[in-house]
Amino acid sequence: MKVTIKQWSGVASWKWVANDDNCGICRMPFDSCCPDCKLPGDDCPLVWGQCSHCFHMHCIVKWLQSQTVNQQCPMCRQEWKFNNK
Amino acid sequence: MDESPDSKKAWALSQKIFPILNDFSTCNQEDTFFKSQFEELCNYMQANGLQDFLQQLIINQVEKRFRDEIVPAFWSYFQKSELHNKDLNQFYNAVKSLYDNYKEMDKITSGLELFRQCTHVTKIPYNEKTINNALKLILKATVLAQSPLNYQAVTLSFYETALRIEDVDSYLGFDSGHCAACDQDSCNCLHLLQETNRKLSEMNLLEPLVGQTFTNLSHKYIYTHIQKMCKDNYDSFITRLETWLHTVVIVWLRKMYSFDTSICLNEAMDTFQTKLVNYLYNSYTKIRINQLFNIVIEYPESLPALEDIRLCLPRTDLKPLLMKKLQRAMETRLLHHGVSTADILTAYVATIKSLKVLDPTGVLLESVTDPIHQYLREREDTVRCVMSSLTEEGPNDLAEELHKRGAVDENINVEDGDDDWETWTPDPIEAAVSPNPPKDVGSRRNVDIISMLVDIYGSNELFVNEYRNLLADRLLSQYTSDTEKEIRYLELLKLKFGDSNLHFCEVMLKDVVDSKRINQRIKEDSEYSESIVPLSTLIVSQQFWPPFKEEKLELHSKVAEQIKQFTAGFETLKGSRTLCWKNHLGVVNIEIELNDRTFNLSVSPMQATILMHFQDKDTWQLEELSNVMQCTASLLRRKISFWISHGILSETSIDMFSVQNVENKNLAKVVFCDEDFEAESAMASVQDQKDEEFQNIWTYIVGMLKNLDSLPLDRIHHMLKMFAFQGLTTECSPSELKVFLDRKVRKRLLIFSNNLYTLPK
Ligand SMILES: [Zn+2]
Ligand SMILES: [Zn+2]
Ligand SMILES: [Zn+2]
Repeated sequence: MKVTIKQWSGVASWKWVANDDNCGICRMPFDSCCPDCKLPGDDCPLVWGQCSHCFHMHCIVKWLQSQTVNQQCPMCRQEWKFNNK
Repeated sequence: MDESPDSKKAWALSQKIFPILNDFSTCNQEDTFFKSQFEELCNYMQANGLQDFLQQLIINQVEKRFRDEIVPAFWSYFQKSELHNKDLNQFYNAVKSLYDNYKEMDKITSGLELFRQCTHVTKIPYNEKTINNALKLILKATVLAQSPLNYQAVTLSFYETALRIEDVDSYLGFDSGHCAACDQDSCNCLHLLQETNRKLSEMNLLEPLVGQTFTNLSHKYIYTHIQKMCKDNYDSFITRLETWLHTVVIVWLRKMYSFDTSICLNEAMDTFQTKLVNYLYNSYTKIRINQLFNIVIEYPESLPALEDIRLCLPRTDLKPLLMKKLQRAMETRLLHHGVSTADILTAYVATIKSLKVLDPTGVLLESVTDPIHQYLREREDTVRCVMSSLTEEGPNDLAEELHKRGAVDENINVEDGDDDWETWTPDPIEAAVSPNPPKDVGSRRNVDIISMLVDIYGSNELFVNEYRNLLADRLLSQYTSDTEKEIRYLELLKLKFGDSNLHFCEVMLKDVVDSKRINQRIKEDSEYSESIVPLSTLIVSQQFWPPFKEEKLELHSKVAEQIKQFTAGFETLKGSRTLCWKNHLGVVNIEIELNDRTFNLSVSPMQATILMHFQDKDTWQLEELSNVMQCTASLLRRKISFWISHGILSETSIDMFSVQNVENKNLAKVVFCDEDFEAESAMASVQDQKDEEFQNIWTYIVGMLKNLDSLPLDRIHHMLKMFAFQGLTTECSPSELKVFLDRKVRKRLLIFSNNLYTLPK
């Protein structure tokens, strides 16, 4: 018997590689989007800080704008620096 | 009367002139007396004041003769039942003999009239104007008093035959030369009929004796005529019927009454007409009501019939009958197991549209559709059916409704403008008796079928969820690659159900579009090679899709290798993101070459994987293969049976399977009993989802009982309501919770005593 696969149409779900499931700011899953967005993934990306915590980009930007004095990570209170890995 | 010679002479004279005074007379009025004799009698009677007495004596004799001889003879004709129906002679002869006798009596009364005038008798019996009138009155009274119970059978049959002779509808038969009554070429049936009517009319007996017969006969005639017209024909007939009534029935009746001088013909015909028109409307409406279920189903072809009913209803009292009949027809012909949900929905839409024609106020609609709603609510697949027909290809009532929506919205203001107090009319009385009185009249003005269907369930969410499941199924099986079309439908649904409810579906469709682009990008990557298996992947945003059925499956190493490459390509393309594969989902196009045959099939990944393993090794033991594929033996056996049914694999001994390289002709031509993957939904069922949700609250319950030791059912339910139920799609009732908890008790994960739940120590 010879079996030839002409076409394999598979299904996969995409997922952020992060050390947590939910955004520490909005509590939504990373694989969903922030409350201001409608579309996940490319349209509502994640960003990492040098402290290794990560958030929805829109969430951390909003958070940083609300902080008048120090730009701190909301999780570990270290100074927030984007990790451009 | 004294015995003087004068008086004796006068009595003899009276008997000579009025032989009826002679008891044994043969009643022949002879003209053999002289004028002088008559005058002598008059003078004597007048001189002795006996004229009134003589008149009364003669009248008594006339009455006696009618009572004892003439009328019994007339009615005796009606006993001859052996005569067959078509024969006009029975009734004709009866009337003729009665008429002849009447004529004899009339001769006596003419003599009496003369006597009365000569002797100046002022008092006439029964206060009539002439003796002849009195005679007719006596005749009528006696005839009616002695009438046998069922004499109308004879008159009815007589005039039925008469009608057949005259009937314009069957003129064909008449024109051919054959009389409809006696089947002969030339006959005097028509003459008999005319004579009968003339004689009855002359005796003033036509109306008293056969008036009721005319009415009954007209009714019967009208009813059968309408029935014939309406059978399987849903045209508009009411105007045609009214014309027919005037030109055929009334004309015929006029002919029947044409000799009757006792009545004013025009007046009588007007009365007849009014009554018959009413009867016509009533009968027509009743006949249409009996057909109403079919009329509804045939909508819109049956529109003319519906318009007729709408016109007729205000002229009759038949609305309650209509409601009752239609409801019953729905129950017996529509709302049972034998009818598919799709057919019920089609009928439901037709019902709404039809009843909108019958009763624009919508009151009728509510009372009739209520049972349909209740029934649809009980059917499990209703939501699915509604949603799939909404999005289905091809002509379809519900889909049309959805497309119409935009137009309806624009009209809302116009509708409201109509609603001012000057044009307001009260709700029809039925509104008060319908079991669920409508809350808002305004909402009924504009019947929106889809909304009505959704309202059966009380929420848009259920419908939208079902759509999401359907869409997910379609997208996963890749039956529909036409995402443009799906997006168009989604836009329509958004108009109906709102953007927010359908947001998930929007993301799902975007996933499909994005997947195509990502696949292309990965394949363009020089690092990626598709040498092993041509692979394309649907990449889903899991959070936005309905929960998938979880099934474990280890793919064949070749496919696994390809998938690994694809994942690597994806990770390169989308930094910080990776793929979680749903190995059991998807579609595989596969070509199978055996020694003597080739197959091309679309199968599930699991079925493809099975065959790939059999390509490597001809024979597998069930246990062995289930270990390799990481799935249960029972599931594997079920999937293998698909290939056995295709004659590709066979079970050579218990739990041993081999490739059937050469077709086994003895194996009966395979029946495709495949519970194929196509029929199965990839989505977790509602029950699965619910169980999962319960599993989540189980943690809460355990935590609760750890802290509070023991709790009754209602406390647990109450606390769950406060803390745990927020995220659930459906809230669970205490009884549902009890079922769940009792399951845990059976598994010894809980203890239940004194109505309290505790954790085992
Ligand atoms: Zn966030
Ligand atoms: Zn966002
Ligand atoms: Zn941090």
